[in-house]
Amino acid sequence: MSGSADLHRRLWKENADLARASLEHPFVQGLAQGDLDQDAFRRYVAQDAFFLRAFHRAYALAAAKCGPVTPLAILRRVESLMTGVLDELDLHAGYAEELGIDLDRVDPHPATFAYTDFLLRTAWEGEPGEIFASMTPCMRLYAWLGQELEEHDHPGNPYHEWIRTYGSEEFAGLADEMESLLDELAEDTDAVRDAYRYAMVCERDFFSAPLGRGE
Amino acid sequence: MGHDFDRSRLAVGAGDLWEEATRARFLDAVGDGTLPEEAFDRWLVQDYRFVSGLSRFVALTVAKTPREAQRVVIGGLAALDEELEWFEDHAEERGLDLDAEPHPVCRRYVDYLIAAGYGEPMEVLLAILYGVEVAYTVGWGRLEAEGPYAEFIERWTHPDFQAYVAELRDLADAHRHPDQQEHFDRVMEHERAFWRMTWEG
Repeated sequence: MSGSADLHRRLWKENADLARASLEHPFVQGLAQGDLDQDAFRRYVAQDAFFLRAFHRAYALAAAKCGPVTPLAILRRVESLMTGVLDELDLHAGYAEELGIDLDRVDPHPATFAYTDFLLRTAWEGEPGEIFASMTPCMRLYAWLGQELEEHDHPGNPYHEWIRTYGSEEFAGLADEMESLLDELAEDTDAVRDAYRYAMVCERDFFSAPLGRGE
Repeated sequence: MGHDFDRSRLAVGAGDLWEEATRARFLDAVGDGTLPEEAFDRWLVQDYRFVSGLSRFVALTVAKTPREAQRVVIGGLAALDEELEWFEDHAEERGLDLDAEPHPVCRRYVDYLIAAGYGEPMEVLLAILYGVEVAYTVGWGRLEAEGPYAEFIERWTHPDFQAYVAELRDLADAHRHPDQQEHFDRVMEHERAFWRMTWEG
């Protein structure tokens, strides 16, 4: 469990192109401007709820692989991140009720399956370091997008709540937590770099799906 | 041929997807001898990457399969080992690098198989495996075994291979599960995407 202190920063920097592609994505810009089609947002919430269930399972598998002498402090942090996912799912349930979506009957888009299959394949097959590398982009990217969008946010934006959630200090804290786990558990290997980058690709494609552009 | 896979429960249940997964420009071009070498090489490398993943999936299936069904699946696993070698020989002849990056379409297919292999019950895995193999034998089986790729056509239309696929069909039918069709359909979607990729790059 050696890890490398700066790994999360290096990976984030190396994938800045993909982070920017997400920020500039029409879906995200639609959230920022407040003019995103509500049906697209509805589809996004449904897909994201499906995704988050897989994300939660991936944490559980990572925790199961942490080994018998893993410090309790680490396991406690994993547990707090898992709780964070459940809180996010509660938030989605709130949206779903408002928007009239049945989250138990989601028909996952190919881009959603691509992402969840990748996460779960990694979670079942990989070491904890690789698993966290596949999961970190989701946290860091959303925290970053939330903060970027918050600069021009205002309560009149119909997506104000979404921006406020991911731009919050609380969510940034979860992303920090995730990155420190990554630094502690992951080595700078090809598998780790590849998992991180591919997750960033999946994130970008995930935003295309609700606009009907994903494949 | 006599197995009538087109009329098996899962193939019928897949509706249009069944046709879309078993007919492809790539295969038509193999059949009429117009396939560009570049497409064939792409197929060979990506199919090798796919079969490497598939053999891991089949190993997971062996682990979950009850005793009376194991012989069939273990036989399939051994055949895949031999198939990988056969691909390696062909790749060497043609000077192809089998360690090349998997195409995103190939990667998604393998991610799906491995995630399912660990997470889904045995009955579903049998339906998935039947889907993978039946799509192949039926797709290639629509061609006459002639022309520059006759060896490849023969391989997946060989009576032994078809008998194996029929055994998988019977196992999937004997071990029913409500999620079988959904997963068979997902395999068909991956097959369709894979064929498109081999043709379009």
